[in-house]
Amino acid sequence: MARRRPEQLVPYVLLLPAFLLLIGMLYPFCLGLYYSLTSYYLQYPHLFRVVWLGNYLALLTEPVFVYSVEFTVGYALVAVVIQVGLGLAVALFLHARIPGRSVLRAMMLMPLMMPPVITALMWKIMMASTNAGILNYGLSFVGIGPINWLGAVNSAMVSILIIDTWGNLPFVALILLGGLQSLPGEPYEAARVDGAAGWDVFRYITLPLLKPFIILAVTFRAMDALRIFDVIYATTLGGPADATMNLHMRAFFYAFQWYQMGTGMAYAVVLLALVFAASYVLMGYWRRAAERTAL
Amino acid sequence: MVTWTGRRLVAWLVVWLCLALGAGEAPPAAHAQDDASLAYFRQAKINWRQAEGQKLTIGLNKHPFTESLLPLIPQFERLSGIKVDYLILPEQEYFSKLVADLSQQRGEFTVIMTGPMRNWQYVTPGWIVPLDTFLNDPKLTDRAWYKLDDFYPALIAANRWSGKVGGGVGEGPLYSIPVLAESYILAYRKDLFDQYKIKVPTTMEEMVDAARLIKKNAGIDGIVARGTPSVSTVATGFISGIKSYTDGKWNELDDKLNPTFHDPRSVKFTQMWVDMMRESGPANWANMTWYDAMESFAAGQAGMIVDADFFAATYEDPKKSKVAGKVGYALVPSGSGGKPFAGLWTWALGMSKATKNKEAAWLFIQWATSPQTLLNATLEYRNYNPSRISVMTNPKVQQIMGAWGNGSYVKTQQENLKTARVAWVPHPERTRLGDIWARALHEIYFKRASAEEALKKASAEIDKVLVEVGLKK
Repeated sequence: MARRRPEQLVPYVLLLPAFLLLIGMLYPFCLGLYYSLTSYYLQYPHLFRVVWLGNYLALLTEPVFVYSVEFTVGYALVAVVIQVGLGLAVALFLHARIPGRSVLRAMMLMPLMMPPVITALMWKIMMASTNAGILNYGLSFVGIGPINWLGAVNSAMVSILIIDTWGNLPFVALILLGGLQSLPGEPYEAARVDGAAGWDVFRYITLPLLKPFIILAVTFRAMDALRIFDVIYATTLGGPADATMNLHMRAFFYAFQWYQMGTGMAYAVVLLALVFAASYVLMGYWRRAAERTAL
Repeated sequence: MVTWTGRRLVAWLVVWLCLALGAGEAPPAAHAQDDASLAYFRQAKINWRQAEGQKLTIGLNKHPFTESLLPLIPQFERLSGIKVDYLILPEQEYFSKLVADLSQQRGEFTVIMTGPMRNWQYVTPGWIVPLDTFLNDPKLTDRAWYKLDDFYPALIAANRWSGKVGGGVGEGPLYSIPVLAESYILAYRKDLFDQYKIKVPTTMEEMVDAARLIKKNAGIDGIVARGTPSVSTVATGFISGIKSYTDGKWNELDDKLNPTFHDPRSVKFTQMWVDMMRESGPANWANMTWYDAMESFAAGQAGMIVDADFFAATYEDPKKSKVAGKVGYALVPSGSGGKPFAGLWTWALGMSKATKNKEAAWLFIQWATSPQTLLNATLEYRNYNPSRISVMTNPKVQQIMGAWGNGSYVKTQQENLKTARVAWVPHPERTRLGDIWARALHEIYFKRASAEEALKKASAEIDKVLVEVGLKK
C-alpha cells in the first residue's frame, strides 16, 4: 500500500486558493460567454434558447455598435498617448532633484485614493456649463468660455478624457517613477565621460532603458481605457447623441437597463476580445523590450 | 505582570462591549411612547401577530418615503412579531438588483418599491402578485380601518392593470399601493413674468414665446428640462406636453402596437420642444438629469420648468432655493382642446411572487401605507405629494403645502390630479422605448437628422424591439 505522506499534499493545499480564484474567474466568464450565445431576456424567460452567433450577427447591423467600437478603440488610443506622455513628464519632474519632492510625490497620489465615480461627480459639478461651474468661472478671467463641457458632442468626449486623465495620471507617473529610480547608474556615467548631456541622455539612454516600464504603463492604461465605464456612467450616460457610447456602456444598457442579457453579454465579449488582443500584443512588446534591456 | 495586563485589557474590553451593546438598546421612554402609537394600529380588527416569528426581507429605493419608514420598522416588529431586514439602494442599482432577484424568483426582496410603469415589466413574466386577495380577506385586512377609498382614485387606478399589452390600465388587479403622487405641472418665475409682462402660457406656442422672452429680457435660460439620453428625459414634462398638445388623441403606439413617433402631430410637437430647448434652454440640456434641472430652477437660472409637481418642496425652501416665494404654478400647456393630459407616477409598495411569507408581507404593506404611517412620512420626511386624501387635507400638511406659490401650488396640483393619468401605453418594454425616444430627441437637437427622419427611425427601431420580444406579431 502506497500511502502518501502529508508533506506530499502540501503543494496541492498551497495551490488551492489559486485554484478557487481561477474557478471564481472562469465561472462568470464562461457563463457570460454562454449567455452571449443565447436569447436571454430577463423579462421573457420563455424566449430563452441558444442562438449561437445570432447576437453577434445582429450587432453588425446595429449602427451604434459600429460607432461604439470606433469610439472605444479611438478613445483608448488617444487616452493612452496623452496619459503616458504626461505621466512620463510628471515622473521625470518628480525624479529630478527639486525642493519638496517627497511632499509632491505624496500629493500626486491623491487622485488614486478617490473612487472614480466620486471623481466623475466632482468634475461634473466643476464642469457646469454656465459660469456657476468653477472651471468656466476661472476661464472667464482669461476671456474664454463659457465652455459647454458635457452638453455638446465634441466637448463631452474631451471632458471624459480630462476626468479620466486626472484620475489615472498618478498611476502612470508612479510606474514610470519607479522605473526611473531603478535604472542602472553606469550608462549615465559613461555618457557623462563621453560628453553627452540633456536631451541626448534622455533620448539615447533613459528612454530605451525605461521602455519596459513605458510598455507596462501603456498596457495597464490601454486595458482600463478600453473598458472605461464609471466616468461615462456618472457624467454623460453615453451621450450626448451617443458621442461617448463605448462598448462597456452599451453592454450595461442592454444587460441592466433593458434586461437583454444575450446582446449585453455579446457586447461584453467583444469588449473582452479587444482588451485581450491589446494586452496580448502589448505583453509581447514588453517581453522583448525587457529581454533587450535585461531587466 | 504581562499576563495581568492582558487580563485587565480583556476585562476592560468586555465592559466596553457591554456598554456599547447597552447603548444600542432604545431607552425605556421610547418603548412607552411606542406602545401609545401601537394603540392606533391595534384599533384595526385584525390579528397583527398572525405571522409572528416570520421573517421579511424588503428592497427599497433611496427615497424620502424610505427614510420615513426606517425609524418606524422596530415599531412594526413590536406590533407584529415579524422580523424585518431591508436593503436600500440608489434608484438605478435598486432596479437592477430587483430585476435580478425577481427574474430568478429568489424571493430576496419580498416587499418591493415599484409603480405603474415598472409593474408592466413585472406582471408580464408573473413576478409580482395582485394584492386584491389580501385586501378582500377580512382576516388580513380591516378595510374600515385601512380605508382604501382614502387614496386618490386616479392613483389606485394607475396601479391596476389588466395585463393586456397596449391597454387596460385602471382595470384588473391592483398590483401595488401608492405611497406618493407625482404628476407634472408648469412652474414659472412669477416675479419675472410680472416684471416683463409675459403671459403665463396655456398653449405650447405660448410657452415657446415665453421662453424666448425670458431669455431675452432676464438673461437667464427661458426654460430648463431634463435632457440625458434616457427614458427619464421624455417621461415627465415632455410626454405630458405632447399628450396635452394632441388632446390625448395621439399615443406612442397605436391599437395594433405600431409605433407612431413619426406621426405629423408628434413631429410638430417634438420639433417645437427641441427648438425651444436649443434656442431658450440651458446650453447643456443634453446632459441634464432631473436633479440638475430642478437645481437650476431653484438656483434662479431658469424662467420655467415642466416637471414633477412636488419639486415645489425644493423651490419653496429658502434653505435650498433662491426663488422661494417667487414661483407660480400652472397646468401643462394644452392643445386646441384646452384640456391638459399630464402624466402620472406613484411610488408604490408591491409584493414579489417568490415571497414565502405572503401574509407577513401584506401586513407590512398595510402598516406602511396606513393613514398614520403615510401622514408621518409627509410631515416628518417631506414625502410629497400625499397619496391619501386624509393626509393631503390634514391641517398641518395644508399649512405647509398651502403656502407654496401663495396657494397656487395646491390649487394647481389638485386641479391637475383630476385629469392626470398614466401617460404611457402599457407594455413591458417601456424603458427601452423611452431610451430610444430620448436618443431621437438628441439627434434632432444636434441637427444630425430632421425631426421627421429621427422619429421615423425611432419608430422603426421600436417596432423591431416589440416584434423581437414577441409583444407584436
